[in-house]
Order: sequence, then C-alpha cells, then structure tokens
Amino acid sequence: MSGTISRQALRELVSEWIGQGKRVAGPRQVKPGCVLYAPLESSAQLALEGFIRPANSVKEFVFPKHEELYGYRITGNGIELTEVEQPAGEQVLMAARPCDAASLPILDHVFNWDYKDELYNRRRQLTTVVTLACAAHDDACFCTSVGLGPAAERGSDAMLLELGGGEYEVRCLTDKGKALFDSRLPASERVASIPSGPEKRFDAEAVQSFVKEHFDSPFWPLQTLACLGCGACAYTCPTCHCFDIVDEGNIERGVRARNWDSCQFTMFTLHASGHNPRPNQPARQRQRIDHKFHVYPEKFGEILCTGCGNCARNCPVGMGVLRVLAEIDHAQHLPARPDESR
Amino acid sequence: MHNIYRPDLMKVVETRRQTPDVKSVKVRFLDEARAKEFSFRVGQFGIFSVFGYGESTFNICSSSNWKDYLEFCFRRVGCVTEALWSVEEGEVIGFRGPYGNAYPTEEWKGKNLIFLGGGIAMPPVRCAVWYALENRADYGNMTIVYGARTVADLVYVDELDEWAKHPNVRVVRCVDPGGETPDWKGEIGFVPTVFERAGVPAENSIVLVIGPPIMIKNTLPVLYRMGILPSAVYTSLENRMKCGVGKCGRCNVGSFYVCKEGPILTMDQLQRLPADY
Amino acid sequence: MSERVEFEPKMVAFVCNWCTYLGADLAGTTRLEYPPNVRIIRLPCTGRIDFNLIIKAFEIGADSVLVSGCHPGDCHYTSGNYHARRRWILFRELLQTLGFDLERIHFTWISAAEGHKWQQVVKEITEKTRKLGPYTDLYQISGNSASPFPLPIRGGGSNTVPLPTWGGEGVGALRETCRRLLAEEKVKVVIGYGKRGPVFVTRPEDVEQLVWNSQCLTNLTVYLKRKEIRALGRPAIVVKGCDERALVVLEKESQIDRKEMRVIGVVCETMGQAKCATCDVHIPRFADEVIGEVDKHPALTGERWKSLEALLALPPAGRMAYWAREFERCVRCYACRQACPMCYCERCLVEKNRPTVIEPSPTAKGNFAWHILRAFHLAGRCVGCDECTRACPAGIDLRLLNLCLAKAAEEHFAYRAGMDPKAEPLIGTYSLQDKENFIR
Repeated sequence: MSGTISRQALRELVSEWIGQGKRVAGPRQVKPGCVLYAPLESSAQLALEGFIRPANSVKEFVFPKHEELYGYRITGNGIELTEVEQPAGEQVLMAARPCDAASLPILDHVFNWDYKDELYNRRRQLTTVVTLACAAHDDACFCTSVGLGPAAERGSDAMLLELGGGEYEVRCLTDKGKALFDSRLPASERVASIPSGPEKRFDAEAVQSFVKEHFDSPFWPLQTLACLGCGACAYTCPTCHCFDIVDEGNIERGVRARNWDSCQFTMFTLHASGHNPRPNQPARQRQRIDHKFHVYPEKFGEILCTGCGNCARNCPVGMGVLRVLAEIDHAQHLPARPDESR
Repeated sequence: MHNIYRPDLMKVVETRRQTPDVKSVKVRFLDEARAKEFSFRVGQFGIFSVFGYGESTFNICSSSNWKDYLEFCFRRVGCVTEALWSVEEGEVIGFRGPYGNAYPTEEWKGKNLIFLGGGIAMPPVRCAVWYALENRADYGNMTIVYGARTVADLVYVDELDEWAKHPNVRVVRCVDPGGETPDWKGEIGFVPTVFERAGVPAENSIVLVIGPPIMIKNTLPVLYRMGILPSAVYTSLENRMKCGVGKCGRCNVGSFYVCKEGPILTMDQLQRLPADY
Repeated sequence: MSERVEFEPKMVAFVCNWCTYLGADLAGTTRLEYPPNVRIIRLPCTGRIDFNLIIKAFEIGADSVLVSGCHPGDCHYTSGNYHARRRWILFRELLQTLGFDLERIHFTWISAAEGHKWQQVVKEITEKTRKLGPYTDLYQISGNSASPFPLPIRGGGSNTVPLPTWGGEGVGALRETCRRLLAEEKVKVVIGYGKRGPVFVTRPEDVEQLVWNSQCLTNLTVYLKRKEIRALGRPAIVVKGCDERALVVLEKESQIDRKEMRVIGVVCETMGQAKCATCDVHIPRFADEVIGEVDKHPALTGERWKSLEALLALPPAGRMAYWAREFERCVRCYACRQACPMCYCERCLVEKNRPTVIEPSPTAKGNFAWHILRAFHLAGRCVGCDECTRACPAGIDLRLLNLCLAKAAEEHFAYRAGMDPKAEPLIGTYSLQDKENFIR
C-alpha cells in the first residue's frame, strides 16, 4: 500500500498518535547540534531534517539501558519476588533511519536463541517502526558495506521517502504499518526515487575471514592504539546488546536489573580470580570486530552491524569499528576504496 | 509472561566449610512441585544468587541422580561469594538453571574413567565421579587423582575415602611440594607429575581434567605420552558469565559461547578455539 | 476519619568520633532534650567524610544532612577538619550548581564539651527542615521541558578547516620536527593528530600522517598513562596550550616525568570550541619545542563564567530540573572519564562492588552520583580541555560542572589547575585562613 503525505499532515498524524496514548519516539533536537531518538511529547519536537542521523539508536526502545527484571523483598520469612510492571500500549518509532530499523530483526536472533527473552519480545511486539529513507549520508555511514542501503526495508513497517516539496511517499510494508496509517494516506502513484548511498568501504566477507585467520596478529595492537576503552561506540550502536545484571536496593527490598555493558571495559571479562582473558585494549577491540563480523554471522547468519556510523561519529577519537575495518580492508590489499587513505 | 531471568527460590538445607575459604551448600526448591519436576544432567551449571548482592555461576556438583537437593561449592573471593559465605541454613537464595551442556555420560559407557582434579576445581569432577559410581556397571576402571596446594585446601576429603572403597576405583590424593603436613600420607607433587607416576593404564580411557590453566597445560603432555587422544580428554571451561542464556555477550571464546555450547568440551575442541580465555 | 499526618523531618548527621559524637553524648548524659529526628553516623574524622555519603543520605530519603566535627585546631588527627573544610567549600559550589537545596545541608563545629550546642543545632535544623518540608525536589524534572538556554556543545562541525595560526610556518614544520626526533632516535613514538584521529608514529617516513586542523581536539595527554602506549617507548607528544596544562597536573601528581618525554607545543589561535573564546594559553608555555606563532595574546576574561552564570540565574529547583533532564540521557558509557587525562585510576570507584559506592545503573540517582563523583574528583585538577563534554554522545554539558569548580577554585583559593608547576594541589592542601562563613 502506498500513498503520499505532506510533512504537515504527518505531524498531525503524530499528534493524533500521541493523543491516542501511543508512546511515540523519534529524532528530537535535545539541544543545538545534538539530535537523539527520544520520546516525543508533541509532534513539534519531531526533527525531520537538518541532520544526518541521531547520535543514538532505537534499540533503547526495545532494550532499555536500564531494565528491572524483577523485584525482591527480604522478610523475616524469606524472600518474595515481585513482577515488574511491563510497558503496555503501542509504541511507534517515528522517522527511524533504515540502519536503525534493520537492527531490530538482527537483535531478534540473540534474544530468542533457545531462551526467549519475553521482556524484549513484548516491547518488540508493541512497536511499529516507521522509517525515513536517508536523503543524505556522511563519511561515517557505511550501510552499503553490510548489505543495507538508504532505503533498506529490513525491520521497517512503513517507509517514508522524500518526494520533494515537503511531501513524502509512504510505503506500508507490513500489516502493522498498514494498521498504523489506517487509510489516512491519499492514494498516489507518485514514486520517490531511491537516494544513492555511500560507496562500499570494505568487503564484509573478507573481514570475516580476516578476523578468523588473524586472531594473534600484531594488526590488533597496532591498529587499535587510539581506543580509549569507553563504551560510547557500544552504547550508541543499534546492534550492540551486551548487558550486565545487578542487584540494587537496601536490606529490605530491591530490584535485580540489567544495564547495558560494553566489551570495551576492562572489567567486562575479569574473573574473580583476577585472570582476564582480554587483558588489554587490542584484545577487546579484536573481540568487538570478531563478535560483529564473524561470530554473529556464523551463529545467526547476519552481521551484527548496520553501518550506521554512530560508533565512528561518537568515538571521542574518531575510531569506531569503521576505522579498524578500513585498516583490515587496507591490509587485505583489496582494490582501492575511495577516501580511506591513512 | 515467562521471565527467563527470574530465579527459583531455594532453601539452604546445609552448609559445610570445606577449607578456610571454600564452602559447599545444599539447597532445595521451596516449591515442592518444582522440586519434583526438576532434573538436570551431570556437568551442567546453575546461576545462584544472594538477593541484594548478585548472581554467580557454579557447577551443580551433586550427582544428577540425587533428588533431594542440589549442591554447589564456592570459594569466597568476591562480592556474591562473600555474601554466600554468610548464608545460613534455612535462608533463601536464588537459582537459575540448569544451563550449559553436560558430561557425555552415554559416550563414556564402557570406558575406563580417569578423573584429574585440582584445588577448587574438584566439585565439577566430584559430581561425575558420583554419577559413575551410581551407574557402576556402565563404566570400567575408575582412577581419581586429586591435588591441591596444601592439605587444608583439599575439598570433599571424606568422600575421597568413600570412593576408594568401591571396586576397581583407585584414588590418589596429593599436595604441592611444601603443602604437606607431618602426618600426610598421600602423595607429594603436582597433579600431572603424580598422575604420571601413578602408572594408570591408558587403554580405552577417557579423561576428565579440571583445574587451573597451568595444571591443564602440564597434564596434556603426560596424556599425550600415554597415547590418549585429545578427543578423549574432557575439561570444563570457566569464563565470566552473567545471563547464562547466551544473550549478554560476555562468555564467548571466539564463536563458542561457554554458557550455551559449553562449559564442557574436549581438548581438541579447545585447541581449535582462539586463545580468548 | 483520617488524621493529617505531620511531616517529621528525617535528618542524617555525619559526625566525627572525637568531638561532635562526644558532644552529642554529653547532651544525652546531661539530659538535654532535642528532637529525635536525627540519625547519627559516626566516622573517625570529618576528613573521612566522603562527599558522596552526603548525596547517599539524600538518595535514601533524608530531608536534611548535618556534617559536624572538631573545631579547627582541635582535630584529633591534627588536620583532618582543615582538609574537610576546604573540600566542603568546593563541594557546596558544586551542589549549588546542581540545584541541591543548600538550606538542607549544614556544617558545624561542635566540640566534645558543647552538648548545648548540639542540642541547639539539632533543634534549629529540625525546625528549619520542618518548614522546608520533605525533599521532594530531589532529581525531579519539573516545569517545561525546553532547555533554559541554548549552549553550543560541539563546536566546529565535521568539516575540517586548516587553521590560520602559523604565521608563516606550516604543518611541515611540525612534521619536520617529528621526523628529526624519530630519525635521531630521541623518541620512539610521536603521539600526534592524524587525518582521522590520534596517530602513533614510530617511523620517520610516516610523519606525513600528522596533520594540524580544526579537528585536532583530542587531549593527547590521555595516552601517556595507557599501558599499550607506554609499551611503545619514549614518546614525543603534540599538545595545544590547553592540553599542556594537563601535563603540569600529571607531573605534579607524579604520574609522568617530563624528562622522559619530548613535548611539542603547537600554537593554537582557536579550534572553534566554546573554551577557545576565553582561552589564555594559546602558546604552550613549557614545551620543549614550540611550533607556530600568533600575533594576539589575549588576556584571561571573566566571560569564561558566562554560561555558568546563566545556569545559576535559575532557581535551585530549576537547576536541578535542568540536570535531571541532562542526566536522563546519560547511558554511563564513561566516555567522559576515558577521555580525561586526569582520570587515570586503574579501577574507577564506580567499578567497586564491595561495597557498591556509586550505583552503576543509568537511573536518576545513579547518574547524579556518578557525575558528582567525576566532577568532584577533578576539583582543582580539571584543566578545562572540555574533552569530557565533547566525548559525551548524549550531549550533556559537563563543562558546566567543571566550570563551577574551576570558578570556585579561583574565587576562593586563587587557584587554576595546570598553570603553575610549583603550585601545591588544591584539595591536597589547606589553609588556616580558608573561609568558613557557612559553618556554624
């Protein structure tokens, strides 16, 4: 189902959704120069242009940065466990980028690997994703190198494509998308042209074999020197999903919760004995690339990366996986890619 | 909504101090129905927790044939184990599991079993020993070599004596040189050395060796000299875990998720993994 | 029929064992009556009172906090209370910037003989807190959700612009200097800026990687303590004037030895960041070599505090709402910590779990506790490079917290971190003349 909608009508629709009690989130300028996906209190807060992509990802709407798993009460008689209230009501992710939408079906694999994570699944089921195809990209974007593109449909329930003149073509891709737009779109034959994406920066399959074969290579210590070991890349990445489980409370009651964690932190794999399998930053950086480009594809058939470039943009020293991947590409002596000269 | 992270509540039925810093704990499901339906396979692990402090991963070191309780054994070394140390009989802790894979007890049938354990790594060997003793007819000769740094560090010492009473079961206990007491009657030496000295026949054997990396490293050449193939040598791989269900991304060794595809693997499997552990 | 329940203030008092605790005890033994609302926590000395204990008290529901110890000069440990006093002067400024209600935090000196004073103080504080009511504003986001004032947080954008700072020299001079240092084996590695970020040049022919443009923002001194970099050998490091201040602090704290490295200072007119508008260290002062020159030598301006003053113009609840909104976005990635050269602890206090001091969860109270910890552990040490602010992927204006403490250090103690290699550290020292007009 396809139709056209003007920017104004789109905002009115968003207002309606908010008015209906749906939880709506989308790009929002939280302050000058900083656009993040955030809950929208009004449609006026929705930012539709003037930036490449938000600095965070949509994963926090299905996999929150802090999520209570259950509560506990410590009484004289023992322990009582309590359920934590689960979110109810529909959630709409508005104007997500295709690289964000694509992360959700990728994450579905691990959260349902044998054990079904219903906390995640429930949020996922309640969510409808409306993507906005990208009209522009910057030199940190590399969706085309991981099998996606500026109008990729993976994970999207409905896609907006710019027609020019403040209008969008709307393509409802799933039943959820259709239900959301609910015949509010004047039918239209107008088809938007698909924007061109970034040029391919590396060959993902070559990366996969490189990390398999070069586990002990001096490549890692040499190429990852700049990494400071923070979690900015992992936490803004649409597909990173590592988490920690903590107990927080007092002697009477508390919650067991999960928080985002990053393999780049020193203590991530630290054993109680003091042994650390990944005792230095090169080992941790290697793990990141390995997990995303070798382990996950081997296990689930998909690269754990959508090429959004958040890691490169948010990295305080401009690294992200992109810089390392470019170096791997360089090390493989593949035909020259544009731009990535050292 | 089924919450895979929500634990079962377990009553502590017994705690035993094995060494100055190691305790073993027996727990039982508070929910009788759950206790009846629950089962696990020997070698699997559980995630035990003290509410308010956190969760920790331990092998279930009781035999899977025992229905009255689950047992685990821990060293007091961090936040959660410190809290576990203070837990008394009658108190309630949490348990999630069973997770991981199990000892391939079917494949071991008909073989001679060689168990090599070092220090705090004895409990995961212990459950296998009991299981084999309970299904004695399925297995051949059994040899158990267990050593620790000092006499005080040996765990389940009384059970070692019991095992030796069974037919065709040989138990050798040892301590590191310098760790013996004046009345020590066992062997003195590191486990690999003592094992080689013990002259155990190698034919038709499988080996379960669990211990600190250095012990394993030094045991492998001994086994090689004896002609035992890496595919017949099993170990249990430790790694830091959190979720136990393959989601938190912490325990993988290359593509091998210790919580899902391990912790038990053969030496030749281990040798094919990257040095990420 | 329901009775209106009177609000009973809950107060926590952190007192020193040797004076105030005994003074409270004296009040008890001499049968002086005072309200039972105060829970006393006894510590050996006020010098031991970690500021995050005060925050913790509020977190768990205190409506008021009292901190009390021996009179200056009477400390059982000689100088613990002097150190505490200096810390309190700075901490109050931070709390003020964050929007804590300072009417709820009290400092006093009460000696072991001053049972009466204890009685009076507790009575007064209880009444005052009763009038103030329960502390419901803590960490609340209230009012309208627009940021009260627009502040540029990331300057420069992603376009690289060559900077007009050279006065005739070019990046060639920088490269030549580094080539010479490497070729003559005076250093093993040059830590400098490359096209896409920091580079670590070990071979003379690779100095072409070095650049100088408006994206040369990282404070490279952060690498001097990282073990993978130290393993490369004796370094040369490229610093701007602002970065160089970090070298002064690190050396003062015995973390580096200037003799074991070569410092290449680059004159910088501006990088287009917020800090640059009020910079007075365009020319590195202690470098072994200086590249470039600049005509203007601007003086230090009071304009530095402008953005902070705009925040302080808000009422306390408005300030707290501002920070609560900012910290709502914090994901605890610790980019702020990792980008800071002065955060060199091998294990950060936030990673401690026996016991947990700062909750690792990115909740309101966890995030407030973390950012208070980070800012205050940098009091008198932060050199204002603003890397923490630039590193934050959530756009949190951490520089406001740093500015607050820098302003407090200057106004109260005439101290600027990293300017004078001979100056004694701010928090490690005290003066008998430190002002205590807020201490009863």
